[in-house]
Amino acid sequence: MVAHQDWSALRAAETQRMLAACTRCGACFEACPMVAYAPEARGTDAKAAVIGVLDVLAGGPGDAASRNWISVCTRSGSCNEACPEAVNPMLMLRLAKWQAQEGGVIPKRDAAETMARVKVFARLSMTEEEQAKWL
Amino acid sequence: MAVSTFWYGCNMTRHGEIIRLSQRMLEAVGVEAAPVGGPGACCGSPKESTPRIAEGMADRTMEKFAASGTPRVITWCPSCHANLDDFMGQTKEQGFDSQHLCEAIHEKRAALAPLLTQRVSARVFVDRHVGFQGRVPVNDIIPELLGMIPGVEVVDHPYRAPSYMCFGLASVPGALADVQRTTLAAMRETGADTLVTIFHSCHREMIGLERDHGIRVVNWVHLLAEGLGWPYEDEYKAWRNAEDPLAAIGPERVAAAGEVAVRKLVEPELTRPRLV
Repeated sequence: MVAHQDWSALRAAETQRMLAACTRCGACFEACPMVAYAPEARGTDAKAAVIGVLDVLAGGPGDAASRNWISVCTRSGSCNEACPEAVNPMLMLRLAKWQAQEGGVIPKRDAAETMARVKVFARLSMTEEEQAKWL
Repeated sequence: MAVSTFWYGCNMTRHGEIIRLSQRMLEAVGVEAAPVGGPGACCGSPKESTPRIAEGMADRTMEKFAASGTPRVITWCPSCHANLDDFMGQTKEQGFDSQHLCEAIHEKRAALAPLLTQRVSARVFVDRHVGFQGRVPVNDIIPELLGMIPGVEVVDHPYRAPSYMCFGLASVPGALADVQRTTLAAMRETGADTLVTIFHSCHREMIGLERDHGIRVVNWVHLLAEGLGWPYEDEYKAWRNAEDPLAAIGPERVAAAGEVAVRKLVEPELTRPRLV
């Protein structure tokens, strides 16, 4: 028995849980080491940044600060350690990024050539027998 | 005996020798594991800008694991490991257990210890990151394993890079350069001569430091292999640090891999600018 039928159902359930559980305290934003690399988020009120992320998560546009914060997330997990409500802000920002990219709110990462590159490197670093067995 | 799966991920195809050494190391401590990875066994992470595509890739991987009947999947990549926990295992039946490679070796460390007979003189700084440590204590396990190699001294330093691996940092302007500068400063502070990477994307980003900064950069699997007396060649590092990477690869291998594809997809990566 799986917990969710598919990723869409998982995302919907997690989104509802996060929107309900988050108290918008801003501790996750304050703990984030990557805010320093987000010029539009630096100096922003922490609570407002979180409210913006939750808006993106729910399908809205958020604001410039929250979108910038979402885009520089490196999954450091510092937010999870700071969160007093066990919301899992690291996953919250990741799901918000997916939502924002699907909605065109922030640009998608160009990964068009990723798998082609993986295959060329395999041809360089593996024998034909290894490619046949390992790929 | 049922064979475990060593799920090396997709971007590890750059490092065939790490896959070989990992499989050999598992076997040496009593774990038979078949390497699986590449585009046909992807967690979906590289395509997660379009979650529907990522999900399709991840589902196919779960079906592949199920069809193999593997009792255990041993992971390498932190993205794969996290996606298995957070998405794949939540939406598909998971008839196997899972652990990270370093956990699989660490739990067999009593079998590993007598095999580490070769002295490796190195004062080691481990490229520790935050983010994955909460799932698997890599920052504790890997230094402990390295400390079992005769001659290796692992230095202690509080710095932790602010990402689960270097991959995410590379796309944030300024972030990876800051991490590299801070890492080099921490190495100077501790007198370390060897930087040991944990993950493949970190290895990819850090090996360039070897050319200009008077340090050695190896992966943790490489260093354990040296302690075991197993030869290997880190070709990706040699290519990345060569004046002419394609000449270093060699014309015959370039031709065999497809010269057009190598020039388009490999050469730009190997010649990308150095940040520090």
